[in-house]
Amino acid sequence: MNLMRLELEKIRRTGFLPAFLGGGILAAAVPMANMAFRPELYTGLSDPPVSILLGANWQMMSMLNVLLIVAGACVLYYIEYADNAMRKMGTLPVREGSLFFGKAAVLILAGTLLLAIEAVSVCGCSIHWFSRAAAPSAGILKSFGFFLLMLTPAALLSLTIASACRNLWTSLGIGVVCVFAATMIPAQDFALTLFPFAMPFQTLGNHAADVIRNYAIAAAAETAVIVLLEVIILKVRRAFA
Amino acid sequence: MNIIETRDLTKSYGGFTAVSGINLHIPKGAVYGFLGPNGAGKSTTMKMFLGLTKPSGGSFVIDGMQFPGSRVQILKEIGSLIEAPGFYGNLTGEENLDIIRRILGLPRSSVSEALETVGLTPYRKQLAKKYSLGMKQRLGLAGALIGQPPILILDEPTNGLDPVGIHEIRTLIRSLPQRFACTVLVSSHLLSEIELMADHIGILNHGRLLFEGTPDALKRSAASQGYPTDNLEDTFLALIDADNRQRGGVR
Amino acid sequence: MSFLSLVRIEHQKVRRSKIFLILVLATVILWIPSVLNADLNFGMQAVGISPENSFFIQGFMAMAWFLFPAAMVVITVLQNQTERNDHGILKMLSLPVGTAKLCMAKFAVLVSFSAVQFLMSAGMYYISAAAASRTQGYAFCLPLFFIFKETGMMWASAIPMLAFFWLLAVCIRTPVFSIGIGLASIVPSVLMINTKIWFAYPMAYPFFVITSEYGKLAENLNTAPVRLVPWLPAAALITAVCLIISCLCFGRAERR
Repeated sequence: MNLMRLELEKIRRTGFLPAFLGGGILAAAVPMANMAFRPELYTGLSDPPVSILLGANWQMMSMLNVLLIVAGACVLYYIEYADNAMRKMGTLPVREGSLFFGKAAVLILAGTLLLAIEAVSVCGCSIHWFSRAAAPSAGILKSFGFFLLMLTPAALLSLTIASACRNLWTSLGIGVVCVFAATMIPAQDFALTLFPFAMPFQTLGNHAADVIRNYAIAAAAETAVIVLLEVIILKVRRAFA
Repeated sequence: MNIIETRDLTKSYGGFTAVSGINLHIPKGAVYGFLGPNGAGKSTTMKMFLGLTKPSGGSFVIDGMQFPGSRVQILKEIGSLIEAPGFYGNLTGEENLDIIRRILGLPRSSVSEALETVGLTPYRKQLAKKYSLGMKQRLGLAGALIGQPPILILDEPTNGLDPVGIHEIRTLIRSLPQRFACTVLVSSHLLSEIELMADHIGILNHGRLLFEGTPDALKRSAASQGYPTDNLEDTFLALIDADNRQRGGVR
Repeated sequence: MSFLSLVRIEHQKVRRSKIFLILVLATVILWIPSVLNADLNFGMQAVGISPENSFFIQGFMAMAWFLFPAAMVVITVLQNQTERNDHGILKMLSLPVGTAKLCMAKFAVLVSFSAVQFLMSAGMYYISAAAASRTQGYAFCLPLFFIFKETGMMWASAIPMLAFFWLLAVCIRTPVFSIGIGLASIVPSVLMINTKIWFAYPMAYPFFVITSEYGKLAENLNTAPVRLVPWLPAAALITAVCLIISCLCFGRAERR
């Protein structure tokens, strides 16, 4: 908790929170705009409204989410490297990994904020455009809980990349290339969609229950592996310092 | 009692040896002046004391503790300023210190005390990236002094300061052992500066320790070897020059 | 000092920045899936496009929609970071060079990098088309002139978009904002090319050009054709406005 408060203090005036707020609003505007422009395409479908809305818009919304997460991760470490603050941190009595965990907590919190804004928008759309949407809340909570879980490995991996590269644009370039590679992965290939940057594009509606369980297990396993990777990077860096 | 002691401490990068088997003895409560030309290995040694770089040979003990086992414990006792000060440009001077304060678990008042000590109080609300060179240096110094740590490691603390600032910081460093009961390891490439602050001197050249002792002992030793002693700066230059010549004219 | 030598200096500044590595990496990542999934190009009867045309169009569509714009956003960030880290910009502003000229020289470097990216993609296209021809036993390579015409058109259509990215990088000093807005602005281009006002959205231009080419090559696909009016005037206006504002803003914060 204390770690996270420290990291929250450090991101003042970097535009981190406004960027996530703005990004969340932009992503939330996607389903609204889509419904406002062409309601006839969707209102006639028989699926549950939340599935229709996510099916039609989640690709674009999740793309915005992942890009924001990548940019956010880069900025979280950019402030450490820009004016040698990282070195000062190195001389203070804290465990090196704690910096990473504090930042991870902030990034996942920011991701939760994004998803919450989007959930409100999807909820609003289903009430406004679909008359039969009496209680979409349970389905939405489930969906967005799943999204948060799917977003976690991508967030941690982009942080790991950002912590490994001193240069803001190197980590950004790698991150963007990874996001792009993720968009090229065919949806039918389960193994390939386990690529951390491809997971946030998955929706509950597209998969059977056992596939969803496998995704959840994979997300947890990837999270553990990425944390281990970061620990190794820190150890190696110290060994060669 | 020595608070920092090294035994054959060595650091080499590839084929280049930055620090070569030095044995330092830094007494508790002293201001220890670490002297040498640029590239002599002063910063490298200080970085090893902070665990920022790993020795390639030898060992050292700080207050009875060693890296990497007691890393956090050692760093709790050291306040440091290494090379260019590190800070967050997007935060104010006060906020920068507040981050350090929280990590160290110090009371709120320690921030304003540290700002006051280095004379940054009027500028505490300014963004650190807008600071002048001297103010950044003062901010770095405040980050080292905050919480009155028992050991201070200051790498060329007067870099970038004007003459008035240099005098002020020198007086401050000189007064630290009495005020806060701490040990100060301060580096410089100017003997005249070290002479005014330190009661122990270690002279480093090309990674080797040429001399260690009090300024008086330095004078005596220099006189016995026939070096000029009326001015310590000349003594230092003569010492370095002799060492360079001995090493075969390498500078 | 001539504009050309200024451009040369700007090129020199990004030396050793691994920028080409990013460009190469982006190009390679673009074409590898195309080679691996080359067999999918034989199942396009519904659209009515030949396998070799499909191979070409799928690759370049992926590039125009996201990879190319994103790479350009990253390059604008790089250009500004090299200038702002260690206050290089202050030194530049203290030298006898007009700030507008300096700004335009940097934009010229950006445009040249975009050309390099397209050239690399064309080269990589031939390598991967040759590889796919081998694995599939079918000739995928299209005539050189056609490829050059297409990439050239996409590149030219990308210039207003580059001007917009440059404006973002110059005027928005917080890196996370300029990156974030740049990347976020790319995503809606999929929506925009399907609307009547696509010409008002420069980020959609290259994607629109290649999508419209797709419509020409595929018998059963109807895409909007490229109409030069009102596109060209709109593009020229957007480019001019973006560049004028960025020249006015360039170095302003440092000169305060």
